[in-house]
Amino acid sequence: MTTTTAELPVRAGLPVARETRRGWWHQLGIDTGYVLVAFPLSLLAFVLVVTGAAVGLGLLVVWIGLPVAVGTLAVARGFATAERAWLPAVLRRPVTRPVYRLPEPGAGRLRRLSGPMREPQYWMDALHAVLRLFVAAPAFVVAVVWWAVTLAGLSSVTWDWSIPYDETGRPDNHTLPEVIGLADTATNRVLLYTAVGLLFALTLPVVVRGCALAQAQLGRGLLTSRAATQAEIGRLSEGRDAAVAAEAVALRRLERDIHDGPQQRLVRLSMDLHRARRMVDSDPDGARATLDEAATQTRETLEELRALSRGIAPPVLADRGLAAALAALAARSPVPVELAVALPPGQRLTPAVENSAYFLVSEALANVAKHSEATGSRVTVVCEDDRLRVVVEDDGRGGAVLAPGHGLAGLTDRLRAVDGVLTVDSPRGGPTRLIGELPCR
Amino acid sequence: MRVVLAEDSVLLREGLVRLLGEAGTEVVAAVADGPSLVRSVVEHRPDVAVVDVRMPPTHTDEGLRAAVEARRAVPSTAVLVLSQYVEVAYADELLADGAGGVGYLLKDRVAQVDQFLTALDDVVAGGTVLDPQVVAQLFARRRRDDPVRSLSPREREVLGLIAEGHSNAAIARELVVTQGAVEKHTQHIFAKLGLSQDEDQHRRVMATLAYLRS
Repeated sequence: MTTTTAELPVRAGLPVARETRRGWWHQLGIDTGYVLVAFPLSLLAFVLVVTGAAVGLGLLVVWIGLPVAVGTLAVARGFATAERAWLPAVLRRPVTRPVYRLPEPGAGRLRRLSGPMREPQYWMDALHAVLRLFVAAPAFVVAVVWWAVTLAGLSSVTWDWSIPYDETGRPDNHTLPEVIGLADTATNRVLLYTAVGLLFALTLPVVVRGCALAQAQLGRGLLTSRAATQAEIGRLSEGRDAAVAAEAVALRRLERDIHDGPQQRLVRLSMDLHRARRMVDSDPDGARATLDEAATQTRETLEELRALSRGIAPPVLADRGLAAALAALAARSPVPVELAVALPPGQRLTPAVENSAYFLVSEALANVAKHSEATGSRVTVVCEDDRLRVVVEDDGRGGAVLAPGHGLAGLTDRLRAVDGVLTVDSPRGGPTRLIGELPCR
Repeated sequence: MRVVLAEDSVLLREGLVRLLGEAGTEVVAAVADGPSLVRSVVEHRPDVAVVDVRMPPTHTDEGLRAAVEARRAVPSTAVLVLSQYVEVAYADELLADGAGGVGYLLKDRVAQVDQFLTALDDVVAGGTVLDPQVVAQLFARRRRDDPVRSLSPREREVLGLIAEGHSNAAIARELVVTQGAVEKHTQHIFAKLGLSQDEDQHRRVMATLAYLRS
């Protein structure tokens, strides 16, 4: 048995989240803007939040403090929201935005008013407003100094003449060339200043980036990491639900396949055998014909059971891996299949991923045979960047949908259970492309 | 006897048509889903409808609901329901109207041609035929303090056969005893369960089932 393994041109048109590559110049602009704006903002936030918290918490005893404290938290949230808007551009990757819980409807006024006090994210926003100043102030100083030295140094040739270097009466006024033991001439000054400016210019992107990142990481930690964790938990529990749903669907289907297939055949078989027995004496020829039918029936029942058990867990998949199992699947497909599996020979994926990938192709090919009226199909399996891409295409009439309760929806669940995604591209009139992406470990 | 047959599996439909034909009944219509069954019963007025429980489109209990509906439309129709599984809940629905002329058997029983034909005759005659498995389930759900538990093993056997819809004569044949012995057993049973001993066989089965389903 051979599998066709080919270098495939990976076609464009797939949404792959890639880090956007910006020019360093652009990034420098963003980082600089961020650091410059952050300082006044953080100063304002610090003053407002520290004052508000002190007043609010101090007066909590006499109730007037509660609205002040809540108002302070709301202000902190406002600053946090502004900061979160900056973060993606600085960190060069999207960040998760937290969802602030709304007070449940029907809550009392006090409960509704004190809602933010019970939401941890508000407190983290307030903490960020306080801590940020201690990062933003040094970052601002460093960035401004670096920019100033860079600009002044590089442009020294244009302004050196305008400075009065008259030393009369100011004996301890030394220029930089004098300090390092050079003659104090205009040429020396301009050359030295330009050299220093160049040095600072070369390090400027790195330094400003460092300042911006130090601040942005603080923001990421306090403002988005909790939301990211919650989103991850949500995603995982969704995956678990999908797994449970997929299993339930698979079991129901299995029951139905057994019921509609071998069970019915066996009932018919036993009917025919009893009929034949009744006929033996009165109508030997009829009995013989019925027995022949029964023999055929037995053979077909066995075929069906074989196909069924193969559909549940094909032994070849467990023994020889995905490539071999897909080759067998393609060989059995009524519609011709062009198979291209680019997996390192001998590499085995985790059983769950192998099963899901096999199931995806097997379902897709069954759909091709049943509904598409296609004359040919193509199955491609590639593993890149730790993602296994399984693409099944046909030249049929299209119109496949991901409607709930539809077979494809079951596939979606099945893939989501192993942290995979299914995309269906099937315009009316075809062609249909099913693209599954699974983890490739 | 004129029969309407509802079975979605082509394989079994053909098999049943042949089997019923060879047994001398007349299959006036063979259909594959619930609505067609109701229509055929209304159109052909058969003596009995032989119905598969699971049929398209939902593959759940279509056949059962169609059978109940067909009987509402043409009350004289006997119904024999066949299924791969027997469930007391389904039997309950079938017996709910208490009119008799219903049967509920595992599909496998069809192969025992003689018994199947006897069951058909019974339901057409207004009797009730229940699969031994249903009766076994009915027995299984009795409570601990139930009078049924006070029956001797032989009496329980007889009670089971009554519940399945057999006449005294048939029970006597089945257990290889005289009919007098069976009558004595039934008197004991009915006394122990506090049921009135009814001469009419159908009413006796109904009373037994009503008791067991309570």
